[in-house]
Amino acid sequence: MIEIQGVTKQFKDKNKYVTALKHVSFSVKEGQVVGLLGENGAGKTTLLRTIATLLTPTDGAVSVAGYDTIKNPNEVKKKIGVLFGGETGLYDRLTARENLEYFSGLYGLSKHETKVRIDDLSKMFGMRDYLNRKVSGFSKGMRQKVAIARTLIHNPDIILFDEPTTGLDITSSNVFRQLVHQLKRDGKTIIFSSHIMEEVSMLCDSVAMMHKGELVYQGDLETLYKSEGSRDLNYIFMSKLVRGNEHYAS
Amino acid sequence: MLLKIYLKEIKDCFRDRRTLLLTVLLPVIMMTGLTFFYEKMVSDGEEESYKLAVNNAVAQDADAIFAGFKNIEIVKTANPEKVLKKGEAQAALMMDADFNQKIAGGEKVDVKIVGDSFSQKSSNLMSFVQNAFAAYEKSIISERLQTNGTNPELVEPFHIVQNEVSGENNNASLLAMLIPLILAIAIGVGAGPAAADLFAGEKEKKTMEALLMTPVNRSTLLVAKWLTITTVGAVTGMVTLLVVALEITFLTENLKKSISFGDNASLVVTIAVLISIIYAMFTASLLMLTSVVGKTVKEAQSYSTPVMMLAMFPAMILSSVGINELSFKHFAIPIMNLFSLLKELVFGVIDYEHILITIASNLICMIVLFIIGRILFMKDKWVMN
Repeated sequence: MIEIQGVTKQFKDKNKYVTALKHVSFSVKEGQVVGLLGENGAGKTTLLRTIATLLTPTDGAVSVAGYDTIKNPNEVKKKIGVLFGGETGLYDRLTARENLEYFSGLYGLSKHETKVRIDDLSKMFGMRDYLNRKVSGFSKGMRQKVAIARTLIHNPDIILFDEPTTGLDITSSNVFRQLVHQLKRDGKTIIFSSHIMEEVSMLCDSVAMMHKGELVYQGDLETLYKSEGSRDLNYIFMSKLVRGNEHYAS
Repeated sequence: MLLKIYLKEIKDCFRDRRTLLLTVLLPVIMMTGLTFFYEKMVSDGEEESYKLAVNNAVAQDADAIFAGFKNIEIVKTANPEKVLKKGEAQAALMMDADFNQKIAGGEKVDVKIVGDSFSQKSSNLMSFVQNAFAAYEKSIISERLQTNGTNPELVEPFHIVQNEVSGENNNASLLAMLIPLILAIAIGVGAGPAAADLFAGEKEKKTMEALLMTPVNRSTLLVAKWLTITTVGAVTGMVTLLVVALEITFLTENLKKSISFGDNASLVVTIAVLISIIYAMFTASLLMLTSVVGKTVKEAQSYSTPVMMLAMFPAMILSSVGINELSFKHFAIPIMNLFSLLKELVFGVIDYEHILITIASNLICMIVLFIIGRILFMKDKWVMN
């Protein structure tokens, strides 16, 4: 479903180049839920943005549902739904419904399709009470629900979440976790980055660990637990980072 | 798709109280204030009343000299300068106690006028006093010549008549400077917040990323947003023109007299509207660039402020240029051409060649700005923080 081959991404910062991704390669199968782990600045967001066609790789290639992200970005965009963390990316002066209708229109859905999707999603997230209210008055949890609904408005096969539960309270985080379970049951392919190891071990089939722009591990969780002799993902993650740092030091 | 994005952006913009305030309320307040200011400035001051402090000893002489000036009230006092300093009069008149006797005796008499040239009212009063004394001086000379058996016309060999080349009074020149300046500022100030919000604001709120994730062409997004900024600017321009027209027509005397388009009125208004739209398009292109470059709304506004200040220069340069002196360069330089063309329109001059040069030069600049904007908007660095 997603093939990442030798992707390198460099940014120009003043007069020098900073390498955010170094020859990253991995693949994600259809229906898999992959947790992307790494410290701040490890390259998780850059990798998600590259998969989402928002960034062009300096080297290497990314293919999503058989489409190259550079040659066919629009086809890739139709297949993907993305929610970047921290900010919900909603228009405050529009109502929740108007936000959803606008993005639905941009994805080319008809009026009827839009109505059906908004009805389904508002039912799924319990948004009916505030669907016609302006977003500016929403709580963070309400905003997050509308933002997730916007991400799913065109019913994408692949969903990318960048630290989706950042700043959410327990109730809203649980709603998100239930959603991932639901999406998994519906056969969606999901990659989400997170700092919360319990969340990853609870939701993911496999993990990809990143350190200083490099992929230090990718594989299914059960194999990882066996190879590390522990089921504590937090401990495994920290030991991987220590090994990664030793590798850099040598 | 373009229409869909445009309509959403317009809805979003006009739901913003700040935009509404700047597009409707600001032009009304600015125009009202400036119209009344200019109306007062161009008025000859005859309807205003003034207080002239005069020494008790010469009060009767002063009454006789200023008998024809109904708006000048004589304040009789022992110390005229003190009264002036206290602000109880706008000017003080100092002359000898035996003023009339000395005049009758053919002696030369000193008259001193004290006032504040920086005060409009004091300055007006000092001119009136000088005019009154000039008339009085003329009558004395005439009397003396007649007593000597000489025809007074001998000392007045010619009479000077000064006419304006435009056929209008000087007040029209003030309007020719006022209207384009207000229009330029209003369009810039009105469209500024919308422009900053549409690019830099979207980057800041992360809606830009969500937008770029949709299969919509970036050029379509750019054009839709540019059209939105243009619309907000043009609406502000229209409101400004409407307010200035209504206020001059119904609330002023002197400014109203200055403008007379005759049969050309509807054509002049149509061209003024067209010029406002073209200027709004040009401003939108500039503001679009500053907003694309800015990472936050605040940063975009910092870049756009000096750009908007550009409108001040043509106003200053053209204030000393007559409409017969306007040449190709005045119509070929954007912003300057708005001022030049509106200056012509205020005087009722419609020159199609000048209009075409203005439109062409603005279009060329807009295309160049648009190409730069598109290049920037296609690069990741400028669309995501």
